[in-house]
Amino acid sequence: MTDRAKFIAGITSDLGRTEMLVPSADLATAIFEDAEVARTRATHAVSDASSRSSDLVEHMAESAITSGWKVHRVANPEDAAELIGEICRQKEAKTVLRSTHDVLSTIPLEAAITSFGATLGVTALGDDASSTDRDKARESLFGAEVGITGVDFAIAETGTVVLHPRKGLSRLLSLAPPTHVAVMRPGDVLDSLDELFAMERDDFLSGELAGSMNLISGPSKTADIEGTIVTGIHGPLEVHLVILANS
Amino acid sequence: MKPQTTHFRFKASQTLVNDQIQQSLEHVYTGFHEGRLTAAANTDNWEELRTKGKAIKDHTIAHLDHYLDLLADSVEKNGGHVFFADDAEEARQHILGLAKANDVKTVIKSKSMVSEEMALADALIDAGIEAVETDLGEYIIQLAGETPYHLIAPAVHKSRKDVAALLSDDFKDGDPVPDAVQLTRMARSKLRAVFERADMSVTGVNFAVAESGSIALVTNEGNGRMSTSVPRIHVAVMGMEKIVPSIQDLSTMLRILIRSATGQRISTYVTMVNGPRKPDEEDGPEEFHLVIMNNGRDRLLAETRMRESLNCIRCGACLNACPVYRKVGGHAYGWVYPGPIGSIVSPVLTGLKDASNLPNASSLCGACHSACPVKINIPRMLLELRWRTAEGKVDARERTSSIKERAVWKAWRFGMMGRRRFDLGARVARIMIRPLSRGGWIKKAPPPISGWTVTRDFPLISPKSLKSLLSVRTKHTKRDLD
Amino acid sequence: MPDTSPLTARPLRVTLFASCMVDQLAPGVGFSAVEVLEHLGVQVDFPGDQTCCGQPAFNSGFRSQALPVATRFIELFENVDGPIVVPSGSCAAMVRNYYGDLFDRDPGLLERARRVGERLYEFTEFIDKFFGTDAIRGSLDDSVTYHKSCHLLREIGIDGPPLELLSNVEGLTLTPLNRADVCCGFGGAFSVKMPDISSAILNEKLDNIVQTGAKSVVAADTGCVFQMQGGLRRRGSSVRVVHIAEILADSIRSTGPDR
Repeated sequence: MTDRAKFIAGITSDLGRTEMLVPSADLATAIFEDAEVARTRATHAVSDASSRSSDLVEHMAESAITSGWKVHRVANPEDAAELIGEICRQKEAKTVLRSTHDVLSTIPLEAAITSFGATLGVTALGDDASSTDRDKARESLFGAEVGITGVDFAIAETGTVVLHPRKGLSRLLSLAPPTHVAVMRPGDVLDSLDELFAMERDDFLSGELAGSMNLISGPSKTADIEGTIVTGIHGPLEVHLVILANS
Repeated sequence: MKPQTTHFRFKASQTLVNDQIQQSLEHVYTGFHEGRLTAAANTDNWEELRTKGKAIKDHTIAHLDHYLDLLADSVEKNGGHVFFADDAEEARQHILGLAKANDVKTVIKSKSMVSEEMALADALIDAGIEAVETDLGEYIIQLAGETPYHLIAPAVHKSRKDVAALLSDDFKDGDPVPDAVQLTRMARSKLRAVFERADMSVTGVNFAVAESGSIALVTNEGNGRMSTSVPRIHVAVMGMEKIVPSIQDLSTMLRILIRSATGQRISTYVTMVNGPRKPDEEDGPEEFHLVIMNNGRDRLLAETRMRESLNCIRCGACLNACPVYRKVGGHAYGWVYPGPIGSIVSPVLTGLKDASNLPNASSLCGACHSACPVKINIPRMLLELRWRTAEGKVDARERTSSIKERAVWKAWRFGMMGRRRFDLGARVARIMIRPLSRGGWIKKAPPPISGWTVTRDFPLISPKSLKSLLSVRTKHTKRDLD
Repeated sequence: MPDTSPLTARPLRVTLFASCMVDQLAPGVGFSAVEVLEHLGVQVDFPGDQTCCGQPAFNSGFRSQALPVATRFIELFENVDGPIVVPSGSCAAMVRNYYGDLFDRDPGLLERARRVGERLYEFTEFIDKFFGTDAIRGSLDDSVTYHKSCHLLREIGIDGPPLELLSNVEGLTLTPLNRADVCCGFGGAFSVKMPDISSAILNEKLDNIVQTGAKSVVAADTGCVFQMQGGLRRRGSSVRVVHIAEILADSIRSTGPDR
């Protein structure tokens, strides 16, 4: 017997059984809901997000403020570029990095950021990047003043931005720079955590689960010294949510 | 961590007279407890969520063998490694082995109570490896050479001045004390440098998802995210009970955990990790290890009356609600888990004989049970453990009651088994203590109630019982009617 | 054969279980409870053989000593008709919530205990359930605050009724108590076993009480009454602690005989 088998056999016996009992379906946990239910839920989450998008955006904007995001509403990509450029300038940024989110390619960021002398880089390594490449990329992430991303989803219930790290979206981009700017479009907003995890479960059952997922709800904070809430401990001190109006 | 549960009374008495700590403990009520009440009031279906959370945990623990098996398969399918550890020593040795085999120089630790059971940071440091706690509270505690005071606020007992002295070498008594923002910035810059050079991380696990092999980490500071982004190797450690079956269960569990812990709707970060970095990802650990530890939890599982304690999701709500915790503080409990939950799990995990004070250190007020997001009936288990220490019926070696105490209760029983004895006993007791009384109250009572009168007057037994009062009244009424 | 089915109709007759503490230490509380119940038109029986429900020993871990006492309680009260009323949330909790653990090896006793438990009500719970909290229209010139006794609040689940009963007393000023639902530190044997901790908890409670400026504190369990009164006396405070049955009885006494 391997250690694992022995360990688990011990649990079986502590539960007063001689053999492992596979649980029968009950209502307690969603594990008994099959792929079809997960698919239906995920589909509903998406259609809900688009059909109720204006309600959900309003709810998200409110919740995001409560969570500590600085929320900005902009009418078009040009205004977005101007706003983000201004944020970077105020932060006296020298290096700004961005993800490869689609929404960012519609915004003329390059001009807005280079206009005051900063550089705009994209974090995108190839699959075959060497460990030296990765070390360099990490160094530049720790050195950047602002990180700009899109959002994969937003959650109105909690004022949360959801990011699935992947090629073109470093895990550190929304964490290491002292300022994070996330750009959201109306169709991105889900009602609640239930919808998010329904979609996540559907991804899993379809074999498409991402390597990781981050739910971000405001700036990094701590209350470990005398219970005083201080923003900006290990992650960003300031986070901006830019809500782009429907074009 | 070596249990020090025998020192409960002594450590409690020290804290009771420490004004600074008493003041710090106020925050546990005004910050966390009241925050939870507000969060619950603002959540429409709060009671429904608690019921669901309890159902999920009850189900999971009742099929723990199955879900552990499934979890291990899922983690391996994701390309991670699973290690089952029977005890803290096995877990510690495994992690030390991983660090040595990979020539690790710097380990960053995220807050994990399970790693406290292993005393992991000290073990790594003893092996010549830099091991740094990165949760600010844990970092402060590590610098102070102490153990966590609270499940989610490890340094809740430290003042700003304490923290200043720990963070800065030049801080002297009498210097102006920096504010919380300045102190936090100091810690940020010190820990940033550590993050950048870390080659291994150790984190806890808030929930492990059996079906997908995912782990969920809940943090506000972002150290959990650093731990899952920067180092080459990520080791996650969990108690074997920390499972939920399905990804979808996370929405319920996260809601009740976070709202019960800090009163936030959600923490700043929730990170879900599904194994090591995928090939096309920008960054993330090359290796993912999950260490699943028993360390005595099998005894909680096997004792059906204690099993419910494995539902605990370590939110700390019972500590914040507990009037005893808020007076005696976290260190009195003498092991990793303080407060009401500690009083039921520490005795079983570390030995009831030494920890016999813990289940007795409760007024049975039930605030812990009401606060618990998964409705663990803590008072019921405290009573169970009291029974074992009083009478040693489960295991004779666990009996810690004194002969005198046993004699008192035997006499009590004799007195309660008949009304005449009951009345006679009360009359005799009254005659004995009456000379000590003035105006119906006693200022200094003899044992076994001498402890009461140190701070409180004790009532004198009534000259007449209710029975005799009522019988006189009935006679009068009858006579009046005649 | 006594009728032991659960009740819904407004009862004309009840049995009082005083609790050992009320019986010998605070008979005035029991006497007051009788007066209030009679004021509601209920005849009160008091089985003279009663002693204790077994809670003190059970809570101290001495289950083998509690068992015969609790069994005696069942034998006595299963033979009376109608509702059983006890002016203590703590004793009610023992019978209703913890007899299950005490008798868990004896299915017969377990069932008998369950049937007695179904008919057993805490005093304010009983009034609320069968008569409503506006059934007593007394008056009293006093200023009070209310401490929420733990077992009544959390084990029995009665929160509003005691406060409603008090607010329906004419002339009574009711000031809210900060942290009213936090324990007073009594906890039975805990108060003598760990007196330093018990007193520290009590001190917080007393500070909050004094802050209200009320002349009296009302509680629903005699244990809390003695803990708080004992502490207030030691502080030299003139604040009086009374059981809710006493203040309700006072309020109808000063109003005179019933309508």
